[in-house]
Amino acid sequence: MSDKLEAYLEEISHFLSGRAEREEILSEIRSHIVEKAAEGPGEFTDAAIDRAIAAFGPARKVAERYVDDRPIIAPAYKRYLVRYTSLLFAFHAFLTVVAVVFKKDFVVFPLLYMPRLGVVDALMYLPAAFLADLGLVALVLYFVTQSGKDVKLPWPKFGVDLDEVKPPKKGFWTSRIPTAIGAVVMLAITDFALYLFARHGTIFFVNLDWRDPRPLFTPGAGRYISIIVIAGFAASTMALLVKLLTRSRWVDVVSNVISLGLIGLLLRQPVDGLFAVRIPERAMASIKYSVKFALLFIALMTAIELIKSLVIIGRRNLSDKMKSDV
Amino acid sequence: MTDQTPDIGSLETEMNRGFLHILVLALLETEMYGYSMVKHIEGLGYRVEENTLYPLLRRLEKNGWITSKWDLTEDRPRKFYGVTAAGRALRASLLEVWRNQDRVLGSIVKEIPNV
Repeated sequence: MSDKLEAYLEEISHFLSGRAEREEILSEIRSHIVEKAAEGPGEFTDAAIDRAIAAFGPARKVAERYVDDRPIIAPAYKRYLVRYTSLLFAFHAFLTVVAVVFKKDFVVFPLLYMPRLGVVDALMYLPAAFLADLGLVALVLYFVTQSGKDVKLPWPKFGVDLDEVKPPKKGFWTSRIPTAIGAVVMLAITDFALYLFARHGTIFFVNLDWRDPRPLFTPGAGRYISIIVIAGFAASTMALLVKLLTRSRWVDVVSNVISLGLIGLLLRQPVDGLFAVRIPERAMASIKYSVKFALLFIALMTAIELIKSLVIIGRRNLSDKMKSDV
Repeated sequence: MTDQTPDIGSLETEMNRGFLHILVLALLETEMYGYSMVKHIEGLGYRVEENTLYPLLRRLEKNGWITSKWDLTEDRPRKFYGVTAAGRALRASLLEVWRNQDRVLGSIVKEIPNV
C-alpha cells in the first residue's frame, strides 16, 4: 500500500481524534481512493494514488465534513454574548471601584472573588476580569445551546439597539443647534482656563478675588492638574466642533479614549502634599477616597460610553453589510 | 444589467444539500458502493464531490435511512449501501417537496417572462 495514502489517512485520522467511528471512516476513504487509483488505463501506481488523494481533498477539509454542524453558541444566542458580558463586566467594574475605595476584599459566591486592590492593581485587574466574564457568559450560552431547548433569555436594553438609534428627523442645522451652543460654551471655558493658566500657572483657586488669587494646589501639582484639565476641555471642544460637521460615532470614541487617558494621568497624581492650603488630617482621608472614587466613577462612565459607541458602530456596520448583501 | 456571471458557489452548495439526499436515496434502490455511485452520477451528467458523499452516507446511515455492509469477497474490500424502508418513506416525502417546488417555480417562469 502507498506510503502517501497511509500518511494521508493518518492526517485525516488526526483531525478526527476522539470520534468512535474513526477507523470505519478511514476504511471507507481508503477503499474509495484505492478503487479510483486502480481504475483507468494506467497501472495502480503511486502517481494514480496521488491523483486520487488530490481529488478527495485536503485532510482537514475532509475531516471537517464529518463534524456535526451544531454551533458552539447558537446564532440566536450570539447577541447575548456581548450584552451579558457588558452587564457582568459593568457589575465587576463597579465592585472593583468599591474594592479600591474601601480597601476590602470580598466574595460574591460562587462567581466572584474581589481582592483588595490599589488603583494601579485595579487597572491591571480589569482586563483579566473582562476575559473571565466573557468566558463565563460563553460557557453558559454553550450549555444553553447544547441543551437544544428554546430557552428565552432576558434581553436588557441599554439604548444601543439599532431601532433605538434613529437618525435625526430635524433639518441639518436645526439638529446641530445644541451641539453648536455646547461648542461655544466649551470654547469660552477653555479660553478662560487658558487665560487663568497663562496668568497664574494654575486654574484652581481657593478664593474668587482675581486681584489676589490664592492657589488651591501646590505649584507643581497645580500646573500638572491644570494642564490635564485644560487638555480635557480642549478635547471636548474639538469633539463638539467636529460633531458640527459629522455625526460619526468615531468622534465620541476618540473623545472617550482621550478622556480615559487624561483620567489615568490624574489618578497618577498623589493626593498627599497636593494642597497649598492647610486641610485637617481627618478631612484629608475623606478627600483622598472621594477624589479617587469620583475619578474611577467618571472613568467607568466614560468606558461604558466608549463601549456603547463601539457597539453602535459595529451594529451599524453589520446593518449596512446586511443591506448591501440584500 | 451586468454581464458578470455571479458567484453562486455557496448558494449552489445549499441547493445541492437537499438534492443530494434525494439523489442518493433514489440511487440506492440498487445496492452500490461509494465509488460506483460517484461514477454513476457522473454518467448522468452531474458531479458530486467525493468528500461530500461519504459524510452524507454516514449521516443517512446514522438516521436509519440506509444500511451498509462490507463485501470482502473481491480483491478490494468495498462497502455497499442500500436504502431502508424508512429511507424510502423519506425519499417519497422529499420528492413531494421537490415536485411542489418545481411546480411553483414552473408557474412563476410561465407567468413572468423575464424570469
